[in-house]
Amino acid sequence: MTRTTPSSPKAAPRTRAGEPPGRAAASSPPVLRLGPVALPVHPRSLLWAAVLLLFLAAAAAATLSTGDLGVPLTRLPAVVAGAGEATETFVLERLRGPRLTVAVGTGAALGLAGALFQSVTRNPLGSPDVIGLGAGAGAGAAFAALVLPGVVPVPLGALAGAALAMVVVATATGTGLRHPGRLIVAGIGVAAMAQAFTHFVVSVMARDQASILSAYVNGSLGARSWEHALTIWAVLILVLPLVAALAGPVTVNEMGDELADALGARAAPTRTAAVAVSVVLSAAAVSVAGPIAFVSLTAPQIARRLSTAPGPNLALSALVGALLLVAADLVVQQSPVGDGLPVGIFTMAFGGVYLGYLLVREWRRGVL
Amino acid sequence: MSPVLSAEDLTLGYGAEPVVRDLCLEVGDGDFTVIVGPNGCGKSTLLKALGRVNKPMSGRVLLRGRDVRGQRAKAVARQLALLPQSPVAPEGITVRALAARGRFPHHTLVRQWSPQDETAIRSALELTGLAGLADTQVGSLSGGQRQRAWVAMVLAQDTGILLLDEPTTYLDIAHQYDLLELFADLHRQGRTVVAVLHDLAQAARFATRLVLMDRGRVVADGPPEQVVTARMVEEVFGLACDVVPDPRTRTPLVIPHERAPSRPR
Repeated sequence: MTRTTPSSPKAAPRTRAGEPPGRAAASSPPVLRLGPVALPVHPRSLLWAAVLLLFLAAAAAATLSTGDLGVPLTRLPAVVAGAGEATETFVLERLRGPRLTVAVGTGAALGLAGALFQSVTRNPLGSPDVIGLGAGAGAGAAFAALVLPGVVPVPLGALAGAALAMVVVATATGTGLRHPGRLIVAGIGVAAMAQAFTHFVVSVMARDQASILSAYVNGSLGARSWEHALTIWAVLILVLPLVAALAGPVTVNEMGDELADALGARAAPTRTAAVAVSVVLSAAAVSVAGPIAFVSLTAPQIARRLSTAPGPNLALSALVGALLLVAADLVVQQSPVGDGLPVGIFTMAFGGVYLGYLLVREWRRGVL
Repeated sequence: MSPVLSAEDLTLGYGAEPVVRDLCLEVGDGDFTVIVGPNGCGKSTLLKALGRVNKPMSGRVLLRGRDVRGQRAKAVARQLALLPQSPVAPEGITVRALAARGRFPHHTLVRQWSPQDETAIRSALELTGLAGLADTQVGSLSGGQRQRAWVAMVLAQDTGILLLDEPTTYLDIAHQYDLLELFADLHRQGRTVVAVLHDLAQAARFATRLVLMDRGRVVADGPPEQVVTARMVEEVFGLACDVVPDPRTRTPLVIPHERAPSRPR
C-alpha cells in the first residue's frame, strides 16, 4: 500500500448542483416472471405495443372492408366461417386477405431487418433499404423470375441478390460497415447498379410490361397470393428464435466492440449473425413484395421515439413496420389514383423526405 | 500469493511485427497493478489480451490457472471486467440503464433479471456516487460523471478483477484524482485492479505494483520506488530527469530537466 493521504473532501463523489440529494431514484424496472423466465419489461414500450396493435387491427379491418369490393365488418365473421356470398369470399380469400397478410408480414420483416442493421452499424442510416440491399434483392428476384423461371425459386434469387449487394457494399467501403458516410455512398452506387440490372432484365425478358418492372424496382402488394403470405410468415417464424437470441448481444454491441467482447457478447460473430438475419428478412420481404423503400429505415426510428428506450427496440420496430406498410397499402388501394399504384412508390415519396431530413441532421452533427 | 491472472509468453498484434513479444506477467490476488510505458509500447494491447478481447498470436492468458480462450466469453466476463478507452454510450441511455448493461454476462436467454442484478446495480451506483443521478441521461453528464457512469457499469458486472484502460484520459486533474481515489477504495475493499495509466506520478502514488513496458516488453516490475528511477525514465522515455519523493506520499515523483531553448528536439 503506497497511499497514505486520507481522502480529501475533493475526492467526495460529485453530484450535479440542484439535484435533490435524497432522490436515490434507482427504481427497478417491472419484471415479467413465468417459471424460469424472468425478463425486464419497459412499461412505455409495452403500452405503445398495445396501441400499435390496436391501430394495426383497425387498419386491417379498414383494408378488408372499405371500397367498392369491401366486405362490411358485420359480414366478416360469416364470410370467414364460409357462409359468405361468392364475391365476398373471393375478395377475402383471393384479393384482400392474402394482400393484407403479406403486408403485415412484410412490414414486420422490414422493420426487424432495419432495427437489427441500424443497431449493429451504430448508424441510423445503416438501413438495408438505404445501402442497396433491397435493390439488390429486387434484381436477384427479377433475374430468378424472368431469366431462370422455374429453375431458381424467386426467394432464393432475392436472397442471392441481397447477399451480393451486401458483400459489394462492405467491400467497396474499404472499412466494412463502420463508416456511415461511406456506407451510404457505396449503397447509392450498388442500388443504382442493381436497378439498372433489373431494368435490363425486365426490358429484355418482359417487354412492355410496366407493372412487372414496377414490382421489382418499387415494390408492390398488388395481386398477392397465399403462397406469398406463406413465404414471408414462414421466414419470420423461422428467424424468430435467432432474433430473440441476438437481442441481448446486439444491445450490448451498441457500446462498442471492445466492451461487447469484454462483457462476453462476442462483437464480431454477433454482428455477422445480425447482418445475416437482416439480409434474410430483407430478401424474404423483397421476394414477396418487391423492394419496398424506407420501411426498414423509418420503422426502427419511429419505434425508438415512441419507446424512448435505448437499444434496438426489435418488437416495437416490427409492429411499426407492419402498421406502416398496411396503412400505406390502404391509402394506395383507396386513393383516387387507384389500385394500380405500387405501394413502394407511396412509401418512397414519404420515406425519401425523411431520408433527406436524416442526411441533413447527421451531416450537421458531423457524423457523415 | 498465487496469481489470479497471468500472461505466459504472450505475443500480440497482427502480421510480421508483433506489438508485444513473448511477455510474461503475473497479477497477484488483491494487487493494484499499474502498467506504464511510452506511447505504442503495447500496454493497451496487453490489457485487452488479459481481458480476453484480443486474441494472442501465441502464448496464453490464465485466469485462476485456466486459459481464458478455453472458457466461454460470458464465464470469463463474470470474473473479470474491462473498461476500454472509448466505449460508446447508446443514445438516450440513463445512468441506471448503462450500469444495468454490466449485468449481461450474468444473464441467460430466458433469465435476464435476478435480485442480484438489483443489488449489484444499486451498489455500483452508490460506490460511484451516482445514485442521485440514476435517471439522468448519460449524454447530459459532465466528463467526470460520465466516466464514473462507465465505472459503475463495470462494477455492476460484479467481478473480482477490474482492468482499466487509461480511465482518467480527458479528465481535469481534480476528476483524475477523484477517480483514482475511487479505484484505490475499490482495491482496499478487496478487488484486484490492473490499470494502464499515462502519468508516472499518479501511477507511483496509487499502484502497489508498477509494470514498466517498452517496445512490447516488460522492462521493470515491482514496487513503484524501485521501478521509477531517473535512469529508467531516461532509458525508456528518453527524458532526462530527477526522481524525488512526493512530499505527501513519499512515492517517486519525476521532475524533468529543463532543456536549453535553442537545442532542436
